Amino acid sequence: MSAMAVARLELRRLAVRPLAWALAALTIAWLAWTFILGLGQFLGAQVKLAAVADAPGFTDLVAIPLLAELAKLAFLVVPLMTMTQLAGERRGGTLALLASTGLSPRHIVIGKYIAVLAWLGLWLLATLAMPLAVGAESTADWGKLAAATLGTALLLATLAAIGIACSAATSFPAIAAAMALIVTLILWTIDRGAQAAGVTGGFLEWLTMATHLQNLLRGLVVTSDLVWFALAIALSLALAIRRLGADRERQ
Amino acid sequence: MLNVEGVSRRRAGRAAVSDLSFSLNAGEVMGLLGVNGAGKSTSLAMLAGALKPDTGGIRLRGEDFVAHPRLARHLIGWLPENAPCWPELSVEEHLVAFSRLRGATRPGSRRATDAIVERLRLGDLRRRLAGVLSQGQRQRLGLACALVHEPALIILDEPANALDPVQVGELRRLIRERAAAGAAVILSTHVLAEVLAVCDRVAILHEGRLRHDAPLRGDEGAATLEATFFAIATGAAA
Repeated sequence: MSAMAVARLELRRLAVRPLAWALAALTIAWLAWTFILGLGQFLGAQVKLAAVADAPGFTDLVAIPLLAELAKLAFLVVPLMTMTQLAGERRGGTLALLASTGLSPRHIVIGKYIAVLAWLGLWLLATLAMPLAVGAESTADWGKLAAATLGTALLLATLAAIGIACSAATSFPAIAAAMALIVTLILWTIDRGAQAAGVTGGFLEWLTMATHLQNLLRGLVVTSDLVWFALAIALSLALAIRRLGADRERQ
Repeated sequence: MLNVEGVSRRRAGRAAVSDLSFSLNAGEVMGLLGVNGAGKSTSLAMLAGALKPDTGGIRLRGEDFVAHPRLARHLIGWLPENAPCWPELSVEEHLVAFSRLRGATRPGSRRATDAIVERLRLGDLRRRLAGVLSQGQRQRLGLACALVHEPALIILDEPANALDPVQVGELRRLIRERAAAGAAVILSTHVLAEVLAVCDRVAILHEGRLRHDAPLRGDEGAATLEATFFAIATGAAA
């Protein structure tokens, strides 16, 4: 399949690029430090927590905050990972070369997206390995952890799709990264004005990314949240495909 | 093999190519001459499927290539100007990747890579990263990427750029060899000697228009071509 050929090529490039390794090493080190701090605080509070009925456990106090920290880092990491995907190719002249192999814009975009998703999946797994290693020996709330992991995975997939769309829109990787960051921040906080005015619910709240992630991080899997992520991914990839298709006409 | 009918394309607000029409048969080598900015690279990018014509049609083996750019996958090999590549990948990784992008299986791509490495004598460079290659070596890598799947239509944009005289001789032999095997070749250059050495036919583009398209005939053809080219390029033939 052509998209898989593009994904394989892109994964090979990611594997030999220092940026991917540097980002993985630095962020996992930071997350490990966060995890150790959280675990220390959790262990230190054991006596107090034992006296409280329905007290939050390891999942609430250590695992989910770790995933929330990963989500925060992803705001910066994902745009950096996606910025060169299409903008760099266009700038280097290799995008036209890819197009000349008969690959459709859809195959190129999907292939690139799969490669970024694979990298982000490994990043998430490496992070998840920390609470899983400890959780196996404790009383973790596996259902809640699974929902939070699903939420984080969907957030990463959405940010990757937004990053690819922004990378498709320009020839400058730095501009693509900045665009992706701004779009993400707008989507994250779009209902802030409404909240300040005391308005809750409604379309703006539904549009806000934070609303949907918070539900999943609390262990609530709601269909409308899953639909929001699916729509955001589909819309972003469709825009990227459309923009790449226009390259043949506009360049 | 290739029929180009009234192809036009605007770029950066001006007509880069206007009403380009020609046909190319299998086994034919056509030189595309023109001064800088004549529209050669734009024409070749359209023939390679990287750009869509604003108007006109391109038929490849009788099929509409503009509507079905996927035909390029097996039929076309393109060496763009400056031979773009991925600096972090090795020569071998480039060749395997291009072979697989064009639909080869893993063993098939290995075989194709071995064959083109041997034919272009890239053995010493095989494991070297593209980012550390000299311009001439990159040009040879680009050529190998364009030929790895043995295309029926080979499009070469300034292929002799940065090559030394020995490599230029090797390139000419390679082009003749591929044409003898039945491939149609379009070779863009602004060096007359390049066309005279290897082409059966020459087309001259000027200000986006095809101003001359005729077969080359030995030394007599060479003298005439030079006169024709300068007349067109300086506007004397307008």
